[in-house]
Amino acid sequence: MTRTLRLFRQAIAALLSNPLRSFLMMIGIVIGVASLTTVICIAQGTRARIMEMVAKQGWDLIMIRAGGAKQVFAPTTDRTIASLVEADEQAIENSVGNIRYISSVQNQRGWEVINGATSVKTRIFGVGPTWHQIRRRPVEKGEFIAEGDLVNMARVAVLGFRTAKLLFGGTDPVGQTIRIGKDAFQVKGVFAEAGITPGGDDWDDRIVLPLTTTARRLFGRPYLEQIVVQVRNPRALPRTVDEITKLLRERHAIRPGAEDDFFVRGPQDVKEAALATSSTLTTLLIALSAIALVAGGVVIMNLMLISVSQRAREIGLRRTAGARQRDILVQFLFEALAVTLAGGFLGAAAGVIAATLLARTGVATSALTWLPFAMSIVACSVVALGFGLYPARKASRVDPAVALRK
Amino acid sequence: MIEVENLTKQYAKGAVVTVVLAGVSFRVAKGEFVAIMGASGAGKSTLMNILGGLDTPTSGTYRLDGLDLARAGDDELSRVRNTKIGFVFQQFYLLDRIDAVTNVMLPFIYADGNADGAALAGKALAAVGLGGRARHRPSELSGGEQQRVAIARALVTDPVLLLADEPTGNLDTRNGLEVLAIFQRLHREGRTLIVVTHDRAVADHASRLIVLNDGRVSADEPVAQPRDAEAGLRRLEAEAAAGGPA
Repeated sequence: MTRTLRLFRQAIAALLSNPLRSFLMMIGIVIGVASLTTVICIAQGTRARIMEMVAKQGWDLIMIRAGGAKQVFAPTTDRTIASLVEADEQAIENSVGNIRYISSVQNQRGWEVINGATSVKTRIFGVGPTWHQIRRRPVEKGEFIAEGDLVNMARVAVLGFRTAKLLFGGTDPVGQTIRIGKDAFQVKGVFAEAGITPGGDDWDDRIVLPLTTTARRLFGRPYLEQIVVQVRNPRALPRTVDEITKLLRERHAIRPGAEDDFFVRGPQDVKEAALATSSTLTTLLIALSAIALVAGGVVIMNLMLISVSQRAREIGLRRTAGARQRDILVQFLFEALAVTLAGGFLGAAAGVIAATLLARTGVATSALTWLPFAMSIVACSVVALGFGLYPARKASRVDPAVALRK
Repeated sequence: MIEVENLTKQYAKGAVVTVVLAGVSFRVAKGEFVAIMGASGAGKSTLMNILGGLDTPTSGTYRLDGLDLARAGDDELSRVRNTKIGFVFQQFYLLDRIDAVTNVMLPFIYADGNADGAALAGKALAAVGLGGRARHRPSELSGGEQQRVAIARALVTDPVLLLADEPTGNLDTRNGLEVLAIFQRLHREGRTLIVVTHDRAVADHASRLIVLNDGRVSADEPVAQPRDAEAGLRRLEAEAAAGGPA
């Protein structure tokens, strides 16, 4: 056994011989590291969910919204911003490269849809024939709206999974007739179940119609809420965004320096905006954890200083037995390190448990990675060395001749 | 083996300089049993601290076993304390939370080798008559037994010098005589011992007496007829058998 190892054993023995003091030294660190670990687990979980969400939407998706306001998720209210029209879609398709599919989108909430004695209130979308490919919404039964339906302003509808369930129960809706407003519509297809998006959008609660039908028969307006684009080459997507922006500014006669009356964003923007929101909160919580750790460090320093004066004779005795100043220093640093690392281990375990419980209750998402453990070890070592050094130096400078004086 | 030459120690506190040792010189040969006496304030403690490598002199030389320690740094002094000097204190200074044998093993924590000294510690305890008490904690031992554990700890590294500071000060007569008997046995075995004391009866068990007065050696002479601690113990027992002293 080397001298360092022997000193470490002395440190452990000293800690075990005074369990109450060791516990008090540990408690601040446990709390600090527990909150740090919880925050990191949840931040990592949120990050993973954002990445998953963006990946689900596709890295090839560009969204053009009417109005200049920067909104990351779907708007919560219907807007009547008259800045985007179908002609914009045509212009983009004709003069911007790298476009695979493009579709105009209109939507309105609160439409009553009736099947016999059953009725539901839902949101109606008017879209083009490639919309389901752009937004990756597979049709489970029947088929999607076709080019011809737009030409004819056809009274056909594709139902969201739950809307179909509510209106038709167990029977197959495809080919059946429903009423929207005054008109009768034929059900052409039913979407596969999709669930609720992180933005709070319920993809299963809606009806999708041909854009021409909504524009001319139901909503009675040419203005669009959105144009969605799927690019051919996702790597060239930023350039495509720039080209679309330039084209629309020209078409909308926006003077240089004036703000856009539309908002173009790619998947990167979604990701960054979502991450920025979560990282602000994360930074704040990490700062709070750091404060708890510093408080824990101050407690450690105080208890160690008390311990140094209580143990002056022990230190003096060790010096007479041949301990060098740095042996005493190392033993006290080991005590600080062992106590904080033990506290850090307990805290990390508590933090992981807390994060997992929070994820279970659905309050947050949690991910278990090596990061909180690595950060805890680093944070504990920094606290131990930072706050343990002064008392340890004080211990090493105890004059044995004074300490052992009768 | 020990050469002390014109040793001085002064403490400066602001403009006031206190002279504690004002030029102390003596030599101790290997195997001597020396008592150092003096009134309080005579410089005994300071001299003992310097001899023990716990302090360094302001000037003068101090050689122990061929090493010049007057200017040595912490590392060298620590090594000397670890390998060449065994300390015995008035208040024993055992660590309460560990048993006797672990207390005796203490110097091996700071030794260079990788041995934990368990075997040597066992032997050292047996040599002071406590072989059966190795697993007892200090609180479970009498004062005399505690001091014998401390002596075992001082001897476990086989030091060239045993340095004792009022070793019988906290003991009753019988236990004090037992400690002195151990010292006299060590002396017969060739160990070098220095005992610092203010008690003439203790000093009379040594073979040489150095008296300090105001930081100087005022007397340095052999003890004409050292008292025999074993004989003292036998006398005590005889008195006890006779129903105690009248």
